[in-house]
Amino acid sequence: MRSAPSRPVRRPGRLALSDTRATGRVEVAGLTWRPYGRKVPVLRDLDLTIEAGERVLLVGPSGSGKSTLLRALAGLLETADAGELSGTVTLDGVAPGDRPGSVGLVLQEPGAGVVAATVARDVAFGPENVGMPRAEMPGRVASALAAVRLAPDRGAVADSQVLPASGVDEVAGLGGAAGAWPTSALSGGQTQRLALAGALALEPSLLLLDEPTAMLDAENAQSVRAAVDEVVTARGLTLVVVEHLLGPWVDLVDRLVVLDEDGAVVADGPVRETLASEGERLLATGVWVPGAPAPTPIEVDPALVTRASTRHTESALAATELTVARTTRTVDGVATTRVAARTSEPLVVGAGQLHALVGPSGSGKSTILHALAGFLTPTTGRVETRTGQVVADLDPAGLAAHVAWVPQWSSSTIVARTVLDEVLVTAQALGRLDAGSETRARALLDVLGLGPLASADPRQLSGGEQRRLAVAAALFHGPELVLADEPTVGQDRHTWAAVVGLLAAYRSGGGAIVTATHDAHVITLAGDRVHRLTAPPAAPGPRGGEPLLAGRGPLALLLGSALAVPAGVLSPGWRPSLVLLGIQLVLAVSGLVSARSGVIAPLRALLTRLVPGLLAAVSVAWSTWLLGGRDLALAGNGLTRVLLIVLPSAVLLPFIDTDRLGDQLAQTLHLPDRPVVAVSAAMHRMQSFGQIWEEIARARRIRGVAATWRRPATIVGHVLALTVGLLLRALRSAAELAVAMDARGFARAQRRTWFHPARWTWGDTALVALSALPALVAVAFVMVVR
Amino acid sequence: MPRSIRATAPLMAWRTIDILTITFLGAAFGIAYWGWGLAYQAPSTALTTIFPPLAGITGAPWLIAGVVGGLIVRRPGAALLCEVVAALVSMIPGTQWGFTTLISGILQGLGAELAFAILGYGAYGLAAAMFAGAMSAPLEAVYEWFVYWTDWGWSYKIAYLVILTAAGAVIAGGLGWVITRALAAAGALGAFPPGQEAREARAV
Repeated sequence: MRSAPSRPVRRPGRLALSDTRATGRVEVAGLTWRPYGRKVPVLRDLDLTIEAGERVLLVGPSGSGKSTLLRALAGLLETADAGELSGTVTLDGVAPGDRPGSVGLVLQEPGAGVVAATVARDVAFGPENVGMPRAEMPGRVASALAAVRLAPDRGAVADSQVLPASGVDEVAGLGGAAGAWPTSALSGGQTQRLALAGALALEPSLLLLDEPTAMLDAENAQSVRAAVDEVVTARGLTLVVVEHLLGPWVDLVDRLVVLDEDGAVVADGPVRETLASEGERLLATGVWVPGAPAPTPIEVDPALVTRASTRHTESALAATELTVARTTRTVDGVATTRVAARTSEPLVVGAGQLHALVGPSGSGKSTILHALAGFLTPTTGRVETRTGQVVADLDPAGLAAHVAWVPQWSSSTIVARTVLDEVLVTAQALGRLDAGSETRARALLDVLGLGPLASADPRQLSGGEQRRLAVAAALFHGPELVLADEPTVGQDRHTWAAVVGLLAAYRSGGGAIVTATHDAHVITLAGDRVHRLTAPPAAPGPRGGEPLLAGRGPLALLLGSALAVPAGVLSPGWRPSLVLLGIQLVLAVSGLVSARSGVIAPLRALLTRLVPGLLAAVSVAWSTWLLGGRDLALAGNGLTRVLLIVLPSAVLLPFIDTDRLGDQLAQTLHLPDRPVVAVSAAMHRMQSFGQIWEEIARARRIRGVAATWRRPATIVGHVLALTVGLLLRALRSAAELAVAMDARGFARAQRRTWFHPARWTWGDTALVALSALPALVAVAFVMVVR
Repeated sequence: MPRSIRATAPLMAWRTIDILTITFLGAAFGIAYWGWGLAYQAPSTALTTIFPPLAGITGAPWLIAGVVGGLIVRRPGAALLCEVVAALVSMIPGTQWGFTTLISGILQGLGAELAFAILGYGAYGLAAAMFAGAMSAPLEAVYEWFVYWTDWGWSYKIAYLVILTAAGAVIAGGLGWVITRALAAAGALGAFPPGQEAREARAV
């Protein structure tokens, strides 16, 4: 490592506890931070000293700057924002970023900081950034994983499609399992413990947790708290936790610091005494104080959210027992079908009823809501409206009139430019606006504390505000049924009381609600209409021999597809091209076919991937035929040339493993480390970006603003809205990941080491040589023609 | 016309958020590119039936990532990297052009990059965006002459180059500029110069 660490880096495997002097003393003096574009500072002239080994719970109303203070303690304020910063923050006398990894940070959203496809590689990210020799990494990774008690279940690894990469076998104590354990297979709680392990791998002296359990169910939250308690004790760490649900943390900390709305410290002391003396003030600011009774839902005038058609009082929706199965296919066409969600009883939702879907994360609550909303067609069972129509068959207007949706990601349903319009938009699309609509919408916003923001851009709101807005926007046009995915997450006592009060008013006006929730108070409100879902068992992955192409290096795969370009360009006509295509097909079949897949499945999968290429080839042939004097031979030349160029890509490229691509780009081609890491991280999220696109499209459909082919202008607007929505989510995840990565030493990682070596194998050489064959034959044809 | 705000000095000092934003935007555009690859066939066929070089119009949306990447991050290499990642991401699930997608991405990105370099990485208004959109086209068009349009006469080839360049200016440049403004207005570019410009515009 080039930049000399300010303190000798401890030997791997040794615990901080054994250090003679305690470290982790934090001193904040006169800290002021005003992000550009805000009139008043988020933090103003803040002083705070935290002794080494102290455990602090940091609380305050939303908007008080708790998360901002955590980022300041990590030295990451300016990582994802720009603003005016003054004052000092030191950790053991130096700036927090001086020794990379001296501060560990765990963010609220599980997965926001995941950088790699496998658990072991993800934990190794910090050590890679500080240039730790590869030989020392497995020990460090194993000890960090053991500290958070993260080990794969039996089967989780065997079922993964991730190829066991060389060099992982040494991960001590895990039998190499963590090396092939995909991060995508982790539950929310496991993902948060993974983030904790990632922080521990750099042996921090200060651990910062930003609402680490806010998005988890009770069981997962408990597993995270237990892991935190254990590692903080074992390693003698200084701990600062931000949480708005204080109860479960009180026993884990010894000091409570309270911030007010202006970002100033208003109370500070031993946790129990401070809770006792400040309880009233905390309750008044909306903090969930342990032991306090549940807040009373506020009274809301039912006229604000009465459903439009009150004539019918019978069921709003009727679903039989449902099963939703998902089929995934490997690159060589082997299908695996697994049950994603199932209900064990019919679900008949009557007017005015509240039904709660409960169960651990991963039990398919959101999937069932999607099936009820008609976003997907259940594999078995039916979902029908009161009039017997299948929900999935409704047109956008019919769907919006009947069903509304409050999604888990409320930012993705935003379709309007102001908060007020956001509330009105569905009613407008359905022609339900009248003279009193705007007054009613403003009253609704007032109930939710959003009144002053009526003309603000909804995308600028905080997460909690957006969620409340989503509730208002779902109820305003008076649908018969609202499907709400975790509508109360992240709300303080006041806003919780408003949301729950509003839902109650909607019910008293005849509206029906189905909600997926972990919120114990909401579950109580549902009474005996609670439907418990259990996680369906994981399906075993395909067994048996893999195709020859599996496990080939990404560079070889890219090179193999590249070699098709000269073959296509050089081929002197359609007859030689047909010969070359024949060679390519033989190679493709021998690379794709295996014992597990047979012959038909991989060829069918290949043909599916080739459809766009075939269309392109036909269109090139068509245009050539048109202007080439309608000469069939010329058209044939164009057609076969495009196929020659495209076929090998369709065979080879889907086999690329994005993590290994990063390894090879950096270690084999010696491209700059930081961009390479960023490219793999982005490619790693490809799939989730595809899902976001779908989610935004669904949200627009159910809000009644979907495009129709009858008005082409709406199509353009629709595509533009989807693109901007996707880009916004991409930008947000990039900003979150930047914070998570810099907390693990990425900011200064100019010379990284790599957990996995990038080996070029004989198989790779053979692949490239065989891929060159058609190009060589093409050259021979050219010489013969001459 | 107000002057554009530059990226923080030194220009080559990429922050983590710069790199991640470029690659994430690239990946998001890659998904959109892939979708456009499925949807463009019908309008493209309709246009080419009228006059084959009109394919340049339906080709222009693929030039947008480089423009937007350059407009947001404003550092040397931003436009190129964004377009290359978009090409890479749209290529892997399978596109109609296979590996040549990546070559196109490099050539298009280079064109946009060149435009921002000519402007000294200091101008990012609508005119600059349209210039970058236009500049994304020529290298790509010439490359396509040799790979796809080998049987066209020169008049068609030149017409294709002109049409792709004009469409690049309007569609990739103009639309790219609109998208960047929309992202800044949504408060998503706080850490970047366009976000700062949006806030200053509001402050007035």
